[in-house]
Amino acid sequence: MKTITYILLLLSVSASAQNKPAVAGSNLKPAVPAADTLIKDSASYSTTVKADTAIKSKRSLHEVVISAGSFEASDRAKGASLTPIDAVTVAGSNGDISQALRSLPGAQQIGETEGLFVRGGTGEETRQFIDGTLVKTPNYPSVPGVPQYARINPFLFKGILFSSGGYSALYGEAMSSALILESVDLPEKTSASFFLFPSNMGTGFQHLSKNNRSSYGANLNYSNQSLYNSIVPQKPEYFSGPVYFNGNVNFRVRTGKTGMLKFYSNWGYSDVGMRNPDIDSAALKAGYQAKGWNSYNNLSFRSYLADDWKIDLAAAFSYNKEETNRDLTDGKGNMLKIPFIPYSYKTGQRVMRTDFSQMRAVVTHLFPQGQALRFGAEHFYTDDRGRSNDSNLVLTDHLTAVFAEGDFYLADNLAAKTGLRVEYSSALSRMVLAPRISLAYRLHDGSQFNLAYGVFYQQPGNDFLYQPNKLTFSNATHYILNYTRKANNRFLRAEVYYKQYRDLVKTVPGLSNNGKGYAQGIELFWRDKKSVKNLDYWITYTYLDTKRNFLDYPYELRPSFAAPHTTTVAVKKFFQEINTSVNVSWAMAAGRPYYHISNNSITDQGNTNAYNMLNLHVAYLCSFFKNRKWKDFSGVAMGINNITGTRQVFGYNYSYNGLFKSPVTLPATRNFFVGIFMSFGIDRTDDFLNNNL
Amino acid sequence: MKKLLITLSVALLSYSGFTQSNALQQAVSKLDQAQTVNDFEQLEKTFTGISGQPAWLSSYYAALCNAKIGFLLQDDGEKIEPYSNRGEEQAKRAIAALDSAKQHKELAEVYTVLSMVYRTKVFINPMTYGRKYGMLSDQVLKQARALDAQNPRALYVAAWVKYATPKMWGGDKQLAKQLATQSLQQLGTPGTDVYPHWGKAEDQALLSKIK
Repeated sequence: MKTITYILLLLSVSASAQNKPAVAGSNLKPAVPAADTLIKDSASYSTTVKADTAIKSKRSLHEVVISAGSFEASDRAKGASLTPIDAVTVAGSNGDISQALRSLPGAQQIGETEGLFVRGGTGEETRQFIDGTLVKTPNYPSVPGVPQYARINPFLFKGILFSSGGYSALYGEAMSSALILESVDLPEKTSASFFLFPSNMGTGFQHLSKNNRSSYGANLNYSNQSLYNSIVPQKPEYFSGPVYFNGNVNFRVRTGKTGMLKFYSNWGYSDVGMRNPDIDSAALKAGYQAKGWNSYNNLSFRSYLADDWKIDLAAAFSYNKEETNRDLTDGKGNMLKIPFIPYSYKTGQRVMRTDFSQMRAVVTHLFPQGQALRFGAEHFYTDDRGRSNDSNLVLTDHLTAVFAEGDFYLADNLAAKTGLRVEYSSALSRMVLAPRISLAYRLHDGSQFNLAYGVFYQQPGNDFLYQPNKLTFSNATHYILNYTRKANNRFLRAEVYYKQYRDLVKTVPGLSNNGKGYAQGIELFWRDKKSVKNLDYWITYTYLDTKRNFLDYPYELRPSFAAPHTTTVAVKKFFQEINTSVNVSWAMAAGRPYYHISNNSITDQGNTNAYNMLNLHVAYLCSFFKNRKWKDFSGVAMGINNITGTRQVFGYNYSYNGLFKSPVTLPATRNFFVGIFMSFGIDRTDDFLNNNL
Repeated sequence: MKKLLITLSVALLSYSGFTQSNALQQAVSKLDQAQTVNDFEQLEKTFTGISGQPAWLSSYYAALCNAKIGFLLQDDGEKIEPYSNRGEEQAKRAIAALDSAKQHKELAEVYTVLSMVYRTKVFINPMTYGRKYGMLSDQVLKQARALDAQNPRALYVAAWVKYATPKMWGGDKQLAKQLATQSLQQLGTPGTDVYPHWGKAEDQALLSKIK
């Protein structure tokens, strides 16, 4: 899994090696720019550029692109703007796009679980969308204290829009943040690849048809950490795996002049079983095993109908089965069942099967100067059938949304995007109305002010809906002001925001929507590709002031996943003479609060020590077989995460009586890897040329 | 009267033709001195406004100005694209104005400039534009050299590419030196007329950077 990132990194190095394109790499970029994209449109079949979601003015050379609250990484990035490769090749990202994006401002450095915690929001309040469809379970099933890998290779995306607030009315069901991902179209050429690391291996191919109009491909990845864990001791004692198996296939075809039909299917299996000393009794060990079976399938189609009309259709189906087992064992390994609290909570089984599907249609009417009107609808269907010990867990929900959005110019240098989204949930029997507005004002020096306002609704997690309830949507209102300046291969971005959370789910005393909270902060981003030759770095700072009363919090508290100050640095340097790339990331965050909450009051609290994580990746690039028809692009990659060996404490687990606490730390102080990878591609430069000249 | 009118208009026409070629000559002489983005921007406008014969030359020179601007703005990816796009359009127009069966030398000149224009697209952001346009740039340059192996400007661009490309992707500073030297020899004492004759200063600048 994580290997993928290194391969990406290597490819990125080749691409960033000034003035010379990457020689190989499987399916990084499409040969021909897509007929359009979700984020920015450019029709490849005509010479004019059609703007869609992004507003562009042809009245001057200066386009006004609305960007409050968002980081866009696009395959058309210019200067110091982010490319998808920049975004995902941050050292320590483990091939998980949401982990990689933690190096951008707004995100918290959460080391004990997967997901993206944005601006005082939980990981569940950030949602991932691929080609418009929601990815419900982007990571393998969670286990306590150890983040689990992402299922979907960040390779797949040519456009990444990380919105830390104020996003478009085309998306919903994410209160704090949306990760809007756009998958690649046709690969540049036919290629095959494999990688081999001690605990990860994988192979795959992409085939591009002779006429460059269709392609298919498949990948298989297998990861088994047990060998690695026998060499590098881990804090939990693994009795099963960790094992991850993943396969995916894709099929893409151009239809007509501007149509693109894409199918992507991903399926995976994982098994992680581990034991930790039980916190309530020194004689016992608490076991936890999570097994998961998952399939995510996405079929999408987009095309221009006439010159000014465009449609985007998407359907997704996913199946997810998660099985978790908890047990207690004594010193000899015998399973125990202790029938009183708190031990009775520590044994049991839970199985959950979820069918989730979504249909979506968006129609866009394009107006001159890149103005546009979009409208559409989507329907989500969720069907959960599960069992927790002896109780049945059942939920069926139909969520329907309709939305409309307009992009227009109020003046030459002032663009607006206004939208409205209406959602109805059958499980909640509620309808909600979410308005969204953003403005962009461009100054003469090319810098820009952006302003955004919006209301964002999200259904309570399914876990709360299995029992009879009167819950409604939770929501957040965002207010964002942002300033960006891009010049001379440098990029500065500053953003302030205020957010109000309403109707958050409370579990104590009783299930209700009586929770609330706020978040406000300042974020800075500075990227510089110019000052030092072949060196690319960015620095971010995040200030976050947030409090919320939700779940079992007795009153409004700074949540345990929110650090007030966070700084990240990402540095990438390519040493041309020795064909070596060095990639360093460093993140520092002030301590996070922790609490022991018992009987609706706080019996113990504190702040963890500061988080300080330094990661290093080094890659040496080479070619084993020169001058063949199948050129190879290969390399050796190695890396260390948490070089300084800092003891990272993410929080504390408390004993039932609150007298003992044990820190939640990394499973191993440092994490190492070394391995090789190869990619072979058929050089089809000539075909490519014939289609372009 | 009629005769007079005709004579007059013929004279006028030929005069305008003369001024046009004169304008082209003037602009080309200025181009030999141009250094800054501003200089090239002004000249690009001038060349675009010239419609004299031979038709391909004004488009060729306009494209060259845009390519030059792209190279000067190398480290400011945000700004390059409009110049690159115009340069590509102009170069293609110049190609269309040539007889591909006969005017091999002229075509080689335009392909050389088109190769430079594609190179400027790489500068926009090597990560996103590098693969496609780096490849196109190489291919177009190959075409130029196939049409006219000894074209000193194609040799210069080839030298520049060899100089700027990292070793692992085929860069070779010594080969760059060889090519630039060869280009200089081909140039000899460049002419000053409207036919492309640039390259000497560029070769010398490149050679001064190679030990």
